[in-house]
Amino acid sequence: MIGQAIADGILTGAIIALGAIGVSFTLQIMRFANFAHSELLTWGAYLALVFVGFAGPGTPTGPLSFGWQLIAAALFAAVLTGVVAWIVDSLVFRNLRRRGAHPLTMVFAAFGAALVMRNVVVLFWGHDSHFYTRELQIGVELLPGVRMLPDQIFILGLTLVVVVSLHLFLTYSRTGMAMRAMAESPQLAQVCGIEVDAVMRWTWILSGALAALAGVFAGLTPQLHPEIGFNLLLALFAAAILGGTGSLAGAVIGGLVVGLAENLSVLFISAGYKTAMPFLVLLAVLLVRPQGLFGEKQ
Amino acid sequence: MTGIFSYLVFFACIVLIFGVLALGLNLQWGFTGLFNAGIVGFYAIGAYTHAILTAAPQPQYLGNLGLPWIVGILAAMAATALAAWVIALLTIRLRGDYLAIATFGIAVSIQLVALNWEALTGGSQGLSRIPKPLSGVFDTPLAFNLWFLFLLAVIVGGIYVALERILRAPWGRVLRAIREDETAAVALGKSARRFRLEAFVLGSMLMGLAGALYVSFIGFVSPFDFLPIVTFQVWAMLIAGGSGNNRGALIGALVVWGIWSASGIAVTKVVPPSHAAQGAAVQVILIGLLLILVLLYRPRGLAGEAAVVSRHAAD
Amino acid sequence: MRGWIRIAVALASGLLVCAEAAAQAACPVKIGGVLPLTGSMAPITKKIAQAAELAIDHVNQGGGIKGCPVQFILRDDQGQPTVGVDAAKYLVEVERVPAFTGTISSGVTGPIISSVTAPSKVVQITCCSTASPFTLDGRSAGYFFRTIPTSKTQAYATASETTKRGLKKTAVIYVNTDFGTDMLRFYKAALTKLGGEIVIEVPYNDNQASYRAEVSKALAAKPESMLLIGFPKDAVTIVREWLSLGGPRTIALNNSMRTMDFVNGVGAKFVEDFFGMDNAQVAGPQVDAFNKAFEEKFKADSKGPGVHTQYDALMVMALAMNIARDLTGPSIKDAVRLVHVPNGAPVGTGPGEFKKALELIKAGKPIKYFGATGPIEFDANGDVTGPALVWKIKDGQIVTDRTITIEEMQALFRRIEN
Repeated sequence: MIGQAIADGILTGAIIALGAIGVSFTLQIMRFANFAHSELLTWGAYLALVFVGFAGPGTPTGPLSFGWQLIAAALFAAVLTGVVAWIVDSLVFRNLRRRGAHPLTMVFAAFGAALVMRNVVVLFWGHDSHFYTRELQIGVELLPGVRMLPDQIFILGLTLVVVVSLHLFLTYSRTGMAMRAMAESPQLAQVCGIEVDAVMRWTWILSGALAALAGVFAGLTPQLHPEIGFNLLLALFAAAILGGTGSLAGAVIGGLVVGLAENLSVLFISAGYKTAMPFLVLLAVLLVRPQGLFGEKQ
Repeated sequence: MTGIFSYLVFFACIVLIFGVLALGLNLQWGFTGLFNAGIVGFYAIGAYTHAILTAAPQPQYLGNLGLPWIVGILAAMAATALAAWVIALLTIRLRGDYLAIATFGIAVSIQLVALNWEALTGGSQGLSRIPKPLSGVFDTPLAFNLWFLFLLAVIVGGIYVALERILRAPWGRVLRAIREDETAAVALGKSARRFRLEAFVLGSMLMGLAGALYVSFIGFVSPFDFLPIVTFQVWAMLIAGGSGNNRGALIGALVVWGIWSASGIAVTKVVPPSHAAQGAAVQVILIGLLLILVLLYRPRGLAGEAAVVSRHAAD
Repeated sequence: MRGWIRIAVALASGLLVCAEAAAQAACPVKIGGVLPLTGSMAPITKKIAQAAELAIDHVNQGGGIKGCPVQFILRDDQGQPTVGVDAAKYLVEVERVPAFTGTISSGVTGPIISSVTAPSKVVQITCCSTASPFTLDGRSAGYFFRTIPTSKTQAYATASETTKRGLKKTAVIYVNTDFGTDMLRFYKAALTKLGGEIVIEVPYNDNQASYRAEVSKALAAKPESMLLIGFPKDAVTIVREWLSLGGPRTIALNNSMRTMDFVNGVGAKFVEDFFGMDNAQVAGPQVDAFNKAFEEKFKADSKGPGVHTQYDALMVMALAMNIARDLTGPSIKDAVRLVHVPNGAPVGTGPGEFKKALELIKAGKPIKYFGATGPIEFDANGDVTGPALVWKIKDGQIVTDRTITIEEMQALFRRIEN
């Protein structure tokens, strides 16, 4: 029982972690809560669907329910969504930043942008659910009492690869270091000659790409619909803040904590309260560490 | 013409109820800088307290005491104030966005309690036949709505005047001092924490009042009334109207709820029923676009922010 | 700022005056509708709105209401009670609709009844809101009707069927709304009388990305069968996760899952022998006629929650408005029950039948409406009862397994409630 709950929690957590990374960095570097971030997950998922519509998901390779085409679709979607994120910023948020708008104004502009983005998807695809593949996998028993789908194991593996790559990027590449510098202190970063605009652009593109991957993974398990991102929005924010904004490790751990909290809680209390769990855990963490697990003390 | 008039009276009642919510939020955010994203939670506490105390008794529910309207109103405010005090103690150390997500989570939890604790709140069925004040006297819909509009106008007017007074009084000035420059205020011996707490509780009390008013206007309450969209709507009202500005709060309530309502009307005029589903998506897109436009062209809100003490306020 | 306000006021007045002016004329007769076109219910609302559109078409082709064509004005409630209430009030006051249909979620229907329908004395017929108190506790003053039986019928029938099939150790996974909790309550009450066994009840909040936690919890109780009460979109996720985690394939469903969206969503090969209940969709010429008309017009099959009941809600409304002395609330209210009189001449679905009905009404003769859901007879509270049917999935198709007649249902009720 508890083993299964932990496995489920890690899987949910992985998807949330990918989405939360973007939220975390936007919060720290751009200094506002981007409520349109969840729609980047949705757009990513649907853009991959477009690709799959042309190329097909591919014949099931090995134990997976899809072939390399879905991976290609995910990469295609990641690139495009990164661009979409940057475009939304150029159209809406950058203008507001230039006018010195209050962060809260940006939050509401993001909310408005989210409404638009979500309903554009509805206009084109309707409310019905879509699927990448029609396969239904049966879980593999990894340990006694713990089953996971091969697709899910793959997703976990891929998420690990992405996170490690991102960590390397942030630690060793120039842009990555610039991003971390800006996350820590924008003013100091500027003084050191870091191009703020370039860093912001990269932050958006990366956030969008990661969100797209999270969206594809969510859509794979098991269906896509226009609210797929929106349904994860609060979990994303809870994870980002719980982990401490601006920290990659924080976002990842935060995501895992949220996933585990949800799945473990039903063992003890009614599942009717499951959706509140991430917040209760968050509250508990913030009571003890108001800056989040890995956040900088203000 | 009575049809339009009747509808506008009803519309105005809803606007004023939102207005009370926005005024409460303004006290917390506009004047104290507290990012409360759990508005709907306090709204719910006020609403359910009023409902539980005033609804007609039924055997399967713990509450439903059938008490008079005014008792429900006062109890709603008291219950919300108490809850706000506890919540504030827990969250007062948190800065900005963190306070937002914490209060958001609390609101989600409150809604889930309302949904699951059937014996007290009626669970997913909600509570019905909540008595409307003086509905015996004003027995046609128009008469009752007019009377309720009058009642709301008096209440909102009273709140507005009271808030304007308080904010110009010493208490209010300390509050703004803390918001502008906390270090200086603390250096002068003011306990920032105490003032924040008081502002949070007072603002939440207003939100509870709004909940009680809503429920006694509609006559029915269910957990469905307290989903996060309401919090977003009230925030949008304050931001679009101009935060830090009581007049802005009320204007924002009118404009944002007006957008919500008018976009629905416009879609039915332009889009035939066969395309109703797409029309509805367009309506939501319209709402989003209008919101963005208002913010792009009036980033400080329609009424603009009130004059600040220091030029360095925007940090 | 003044400029903004001026523009806004001008725009709003313009819209409202337009509406009011149009409302003054006798023709066309307007019928209102409030449905969740966006929001969490949106996936099922699309077909329901189409059914409404079909009904209005048939009414217009068959002669309209009191000689006037009908204009249907449909507003979105977005799943939010305040929006729904505002929309209903607008329809009643500004567009002056003599009657309206709506909505789906009880959280939105409830406030509409108590703040618009009952005070303004306007007839409201819902296709889909099943919360029993609405008709039973007198709050609607008789103005609220529904063409869908309350959960009791379906729950009792489900209990009967699951015990009949010998389902043991059932895990119940149900949506945590009034619909789900209502169904569960009646199901449990019936099951205890009939001798079945529930091993665990797991509620789920809708619109989540994954339900593995709920499914795992249910599976931990080692069930041999499962009853799922909810709606198709989340049901697809739940059933897929249930099957993936090795859950038993003996699955009973409620009426909402009787749609190809569900079958295709899970996958035809994985849902073989799943069965479920539905309300009174007696096979017969009227039902077939409706299905055919729907499929012809929309190029999609007519199966889905609320589709047939929405059609009937509007047909009943139109018939009642023709029977009524005038188009005021009280007259229409009294006329609703005259749509199905025991000694009336049978009239069915479709424009031809509607025309026939109008002729009978004009001649002062009683009618007996058989709709897309069979005979529509409202009881004293405004509810319909009726036969139930058991459906199952065979070779990727939804087929009717057997029907439970009204007499059998009544016998079942007596057995459970005594």
